[in-house]
Amino acid sequence: MQLIDMFKLASKALIDRKIRSVLTILGITVGAAIILALIASSNGLNAGIAANIEKTGANVLTVRNAGGFFASGSTSTYQLSQQDVDYLKTINGVIGVYPFYSYGASIVEGGSSLQASVVGVDLSALPILYKGLAVAEGSIPLLGDTTSAVVGWSIANPTSGTPIDLNQMVSMSITGIRGSRSAVSYAVLASGILAQYGTALFANIDETVFISIQAGQFLSKTPYFTGIYVVVDNTDNVATVQNTIETNYSSNVRVISPGQILSSVQSITGQLTLFLGSIGAVSLFVATVGIVNTMYVSVMERTREIGILKAIGYRPKQIMGMFLSEAALTGVIGAFCGLILGYVLSFLMGGMLGGLGGGGPRFGGGGGGGGMTIQPVFSVELIIFSLVFPVILATIAGLYPAWRASRMNAVVALKYE
Amino acid sequence: MAEPSWLERPIPAVQTINVTKVYHVGHMNYPALKGINLKIERGEFVSIMGPSGSGKSTLLNVIGALDPPTAGRIIIDGTNLRKLSEDKLSMLRNRKLGFVYQSFNLIQRLTSVENVEMPLVARGIPEKERRKRSLKTLNTVGLLQLANKRPMELSGGEQQRVAIARALVTEPALIIADEPTGNLDSKTTREVVNQFVQVNREFGTTILVVTHNIEIANMTHRIISIRDGLIEKEEYLKRLDSYSTG
Repeated sequence: MQLIDMFKLASKALIDRKIRSVLTILGITVGAAIILALIASSNGLNAGIAANIEKTGANVLTVRNAGGFFASGSTSTYQLSQQDVDYLKTINGVIGVYPFYSYGASIVEGGSSLQASVVGVDLSALPILYKGLAVAEGSIPLLGDTTSAVVGWSIANPTSGTPIDLNQMVSMSITGIRGSRSAVSYAVLASGILAQYGTALFANIDETVFISIQAGQFLSKTPYFTGIYVVVDNTDNVATVQNTIETNYSSNVRVISPGQILSSVQSITGQLTLFLGSIGAVSLFVATVGIVNTMYVSVMERTREIGILKAIGYRPKQIMGMFLSEAALTGVIGAFCGLILGYVLSFLMGGMLGGLGGGGPRFGGGGGGGGMTIQPVFSVELIIFSLVFPVILATIAGLYPAWRASRMNAVVALKYE
Repeated sequence: MAEPSWLERPIPAVQTINVTKVYHVGHMNYPALKGINLKIERGEFVSIMGPSGSGKSTLLNVIGALDPPTAGRIIIDGTNLRKLSEDKLSMLRNRKLGFVYQSFNLIQRLTSVENVEMPLVARGIPEKERRKRSLKTLNTVGLLQLANKRPMELSGGEQQRVAIARALVTEPALIIADEPTGNLDSKTTREVVNQFVQVNREFGTTILVVTHNIEIANMTHRIISIRDGLIEKEEYLKRLDSYSTG
């Protein structure tokens, strides 16, 4: 018996029981689609987060006092000051130390208000801290210029409200200043507008106003920094430097390294992928049980037909093959439809997971609410897997019913009503 | 002086030697066949008659290689069934036997020609060739114009003729028919019987038919009567031409 004939007969048998076949195939389709969509969007999330983190150079460490977000439960009241900057500069392998202040702000322009972050930092260090960051218009203010600022692209070009032109005053209402409950009004001159950049370490650079460190300190009214960026000469030395700092300060500071965040985030997204993947696997398993059921009923219903096949000389293996190819064909169609449905579904899920990512913690340069767009990632392996796996499952599901069919007694089967 | 080999009697289509069949139900034994010795020559058209429960169907199943006998030997066209594996038995059914049943046993979702093709599909014959052979066989039974109809669209007589075509398409050594006209009215019964007679005459196909209908039995070469698992009597009605050369 030729394979092509086996599949032709199988497709005729499936067409003969249209509704049942469609429902069985639907089960496989949904299962395969869910697996594909969940894994693709979770891979997308992973890739998105990795890209986000990698924008901040892997050689830049962030030192913050332990009372902050990353050390809930810490009772340390340690404050970072110039003394710490001087100390950090002495560590072997450190090539740059940049303290910063960070605040939340709302920018009021032409009646509409825009939520943004204000970061006071050595402005000449921006290209060092954020890889590939470029100035679109104007220039970075010179050192000591306390009245000028570099504004992010989205602030200069808001989706609603008036755009901010070069050398225009930007009026801000600044919040989150330590020891000050009320918002502080502040205005700077936009002497540089940054090119569109996106998020780095979850801080949306496009929604950030960078002011000089002196201006940042002026707003703070204290000598204490929000945090300190430490630039290490070589990625290989990052761990050593981090270790040195942590040893020196014990639990008084937290050292955040992009690489470390990346690996811990990746382990979380990896688990998320696994978790979501298993949800898909469960639905595919349920669909497989559906195939066993459908095939079993089909074998029972077609007992007489099996008797005929035996009488006209079909060998047990051929009969088994005929039923197995029905199951496999169900899997093939289901997998193919699942691929299409899963592709569509993954973009919807990408949006959902993107919202999840955007709502997450913000650190580094302070908090602009940067939602990420998750682009689902379809690797060749994933596509092959989502096509082959349902077919294998469906074929396995068909094994027992097909075996039953092949073992039937011809005489008994022919008498079956 | 010994006879030259070409004058020897040909191998019979069917030979059974002391065939018995006992069914076991629980602790009870039901002997269905109690020692059947039967020889059917090639080209013979033989009918088997007997009351219900006499063992007719059991005999057909045993000869048809569908059910192994409890004891005894069955030789189909020179092949002893006892030595054959399940696969070999399937192949023997496919190549040497054709079955026609009372309830036609066509596959409902397939067209006439597709049903006729089924034994050739099992054999792996390419579609083009098996289609040609199947259409030719359908033409033989006069149903070429109904080749693409499904069984539901055919009358009982037409369905049975499709079944005969399916049995005939492999050019078998023996066609086994189990009450082939049991579900048909008298007019279509005649059509179907004439079909068997025509097949027997034109192709020399050996036919073994179980029937309750004495009119049908009277058209065959020989009537074998079975009662209680034994051959009660054999009645030769016509002589087979090939006998005279034997």
